[in-house]
Amino acid sequence: MRTAPNKSLCDLLHDEMGLTGTKKGCDTGECGACTVLIDGRPVASCLVLAPQANGHEVTTIEGLGDDVNLHPIQDAFLELDGVQCGYCIPGMIVTVAGILRDNPDPTEAEIRRYLSGNLCRCTGYQQQVDAVKLAAKKLREHRKTA
Amino acid sequence: MNAFQYLAPIAPFEFEAPDSVQELLALLRDEGRGARLVAGGTDLMIGLKERLLQPKVVIDMSRLRPELAGVYLEEGLLHIGALTTFSELEADPLVARHATALGVAASQVGTLQIRNRGTIGGNLANASPAADAAPPLIALSALVRIRSSRGQRAVPVERFFTGVKTSGLLPDEVITSVELPVEDEARSWWARFARRNENVISVVSVAARAELNSGRFERCRISLGAVAPTPILATMASDALSGKSADGATIENAAKMASLESRPISDVRAGAEYRRHLVYVLTKRVLSKLVGRGS
Repeated sequence: MRTAPNKSLCDLLHDEMGLTGTKKGCDTGECGACTVLIDGRPVASCLVLAPQANGHEVTTIEGLGDDVNLHPIQDAFLELDGVQCGYCIPGMIVTVAGILRDNPDPTEAEIRRYLSGNLCRCTGYQQQVDAVKLAAKKLREHRKTA
Repeated sequence: MNAFQYLAPIAPFEFEAPDSVQELLALLRDEGRGARLVAGGTDLMIGLKERLLQPKVVIDMSRLRPELAGVYLEEGLLHIGALTTFSELEADPLVARHATALGVAASQVGTLQIRNRGTIGGNLANASPAADAAPPLIALSALVRIRSSRGQRAVPVERFFTGVKTSGLLPDEVITSVELPVEDEARSWWARFARRNENVISVVSVAARAELNSGRFERCRISLGAVAPTPILATMASDALSGKSADGATIENAAKMASLESRPISDVRAGAEYRRHLVYVLTKRVLSKLVGRGS
């Protein structure tokens, strides 16, 4: 990818690479809609200068699942009604993927704390917190059988 | 101050990503005046988008993590690289043991996404009056290590800040690390008040460090954040504790003094009077925690 440096990673992904799953919500790093994983860690892509991603592994929502094969986290969110308008969802799913990688069995308090960088105006969060618990369970079972 | 800042496309700049500290210092020597450093970017990117900052050159520090990130203990000093992120500080066992107040503060900065990027060096260089790393570092008697092509210098954190969002950092300088002395007997803690539990800037923060000897406070330092143009050391409150019995009356007195030493303003987040009261409440809470009297 060749691009001018004066843009965020969010701009690059969404506008130039056509990876529109990553959304610009606030553009100031507070809403989490733009969350991607860099080297496995959730970050706000609107606060990453595009060239800073050079040499690092960037995972967007498109990298976690697709229409045919949903990621277990996506499955859990759909099963427990954690999705309404959907705008916050890509960022939230990516954050959850990052959380569960390092902490496969989080408590409710931990889940609420880790999700506080992903704002949702529709659900009131309860279904999403439950979805994270279910996703954690699915991933733990998946690891056992894998 | 406007609650809503208009954001614009970022103005063009030249981008540099040095591979070594040596290269960085040479860049700063040649381009420092028109340049801005970027590490985690959580403050800088906002400045660029608000067009408050329109540097000619942006110098990315990310490739310097091998040299400038990490925590280690050596000869009684805890060294923390400037590029160490808040997530790393939160999780680091040396920080938890020897700089407890810093680890607790780090765990409360912004959000998970911000903590994964924001660095301790960036937090200091940005010099917000509410910088969360500052009161713990001040309480722990930390020094900021600064380098340039001209050499190296170290400044106690409480003298590093010169005003709101201003520090003594010169255009050709970069913060490379902070270091603080380690004492086995020392304890520290931190508490803050903010308008939400998470994803928020502190309205008032208090950090304290002390040793307890035969039931008396010794070598105490209380530091306050977001209640003055810069983070401050509450010298009178700190001195008021030294040598005194670690009981409720001493704590009450020190908390009142800390409150008097604060010089808060009223802004969108809280009024000055309320902030002064919060200094009293949080100082009591933090000191009680050091003594083991409360949560």
